[in-house]
Amino acid sequence: MNDSRTRPGDEVVALVSGIVEGVFAGLKPLLAAAETLLAEPGGTTATDLDRLSPQVVELLDGLVVGAGFIAAPRLLADQQFGFEWWTSAPSGTPTQLFISLDPASEYFLDYTRQSWFTVPRDTGRRHITGPYVDYLCTDEYTLTFTLPVRGAEDFAGVVGADVFVREFEHTTLPKLHALAVEQQSRAALVNAQGRVIVSTSARQATGSLVRELDIPAWWTTGEESIRRPGTTLRRCGDAPVALLVTAP
Amino acid sequence: MVKRMSHGARAALFAPLDQTGRAEAVTRRLVDAITLGLLADAEQLPTETELAAQFGVSTVTVREALVALRQHGLVETRRGRGGGSFVRAPADSPVAPWRERLRAVSLADLRDVGDHYIAVAGAAARLAAERSSAEDLVRLELAAEDIRAATGPAASRAERHFHLEVAAAAQSPRLTHQELQLQGEQGGLLWLPIGHPEDPGVAHTVHRAIVTAIASRDGELARKLTEEHILDAIDRLAALHLELIAP
Repeated sequence: MNDSRTRPGDEVVALVSGIVEGVFAGLKPLLAAAETLLAEPGGTTATDLDRLSPQVVELLDGLVVGAGFIAAPRLLADQQFGFEWWTSAPSGTPTQLFISLDPASEYFLDYTRQSWFTVPRDTGRRHITGPYVDYLCTDEYTLTFTLPVRGAEDFAGVVGADVFVREFEHTTLPKLHALAVEQQSRAALVNAQGRVIVSTSARQATGSLVRELDIPAWWTTGEESIRRPGTTLRRCGDAPVALLVTAP
Repeated sequence: MVKRMSHGARAALFAPLDQTGRAEAVTRRLVDAITLGLLADAEQLPTETELAAQFGVSTVTVREALVALRQHGLVETRRGRGGGSFVRAPADSPVAPWRERLRAVSLADLRDVGDHYIAVAGAAARLAAERSSAEDLVRLELAAEDIRAATGPAASRAERHFHLEVAAAAQSPRLTHQELQLQGEQGGLLWLPIGHPEDPGVAHTVHRAIVTAIASRDGELARKLTEEHILDAIDRLAALHLELIAP
């Protein structure tokens, strides 16, 4: 839809689109570094991944509180699973994450089941997972932005960045609230599964699912927006986030 | 060598302790970590000073705890260059120390931990039924299948992972955190791999039923099934405790 007039919500859409594109753009140097590293002859070992740490630590700024590269199973020459992941939470100082990577360990959690891993693997496209409880890393309510990494043969893993839901809310809620007031409605940002990320109403809480509309089905149609009496749903640019405005 | 260990587990392991019975508490924490495999065989422990700082106790207290661990044969101290305290994982089945713990536990404490766990896991199941997306359901189904053929420690892991997935599907960082914390209570006693001798498939059946209730958005049923599942685990622990203390 090409409409040169401004529409209510344009500011929110531009803000969200800017945040999302900014995080994905920030991942590009790490993606390039990972693909270069994996293309080196002789295979990659778990310790080789440490060479990505400068690009990873560089990412820990602004909204991004965690970042890194996660290897596909059996990609590394010396172990089945592996990653290079750093977080700046809660201390502010970048710290490398270590979790159990031994499938025989009692504390092993299989990361290849997480959407931030499976969606880029299965679609070859970028993805935002969340809001979800990131029990593998920070135990916080998180949005994880991931891009697929291509290796010599096929999918080699993902590069990703974590943003805390509360920080995303702090950045977006003022404009969302202004829109809700202007429209005398409630306004929310939802993901492609219809899960609320930020909302101006406590009755449409973060983490809840919007059931009045079938948002997952709408998402797959590729339509830019839905307008119904009392309800407007529109995409925030190319970001997998939509703005939902509903009459109270 | 950097030991790859669960971030949450390590954080819980080194959380500061209360004032009372500190040497005993440090000992228990380390015994749990070693018998549960959180600290691997031959892994070098941090220095006494580092341990003291991590636990928030004095070095004297740490030394006392290390003496006790040496007496249990769980730690070996080597002197000189390259020396230090090293973990000696028990050679026999790791179930033996668990039996010790279960013998030592009181049924009153067991009931209390159970009550707390039921409150957390039950509430998580109800919320998960309200908030699970299609993606969450896929992960819950995978987690429910994990226990089908699992025995021993793999069954414990499958139990813990299943309830962790439910808490995450509830979209609650706090309930997830509490779930993890409670799973570690009493040295992970709750999900001991003692199994269901008369019906080994029962855990799989129950997990499937909980996922079905969550998928059909029946929060009350998901909660009820989860509560019964935990009560059943407590019952079995209590029965085993009574067996262990029988003269």
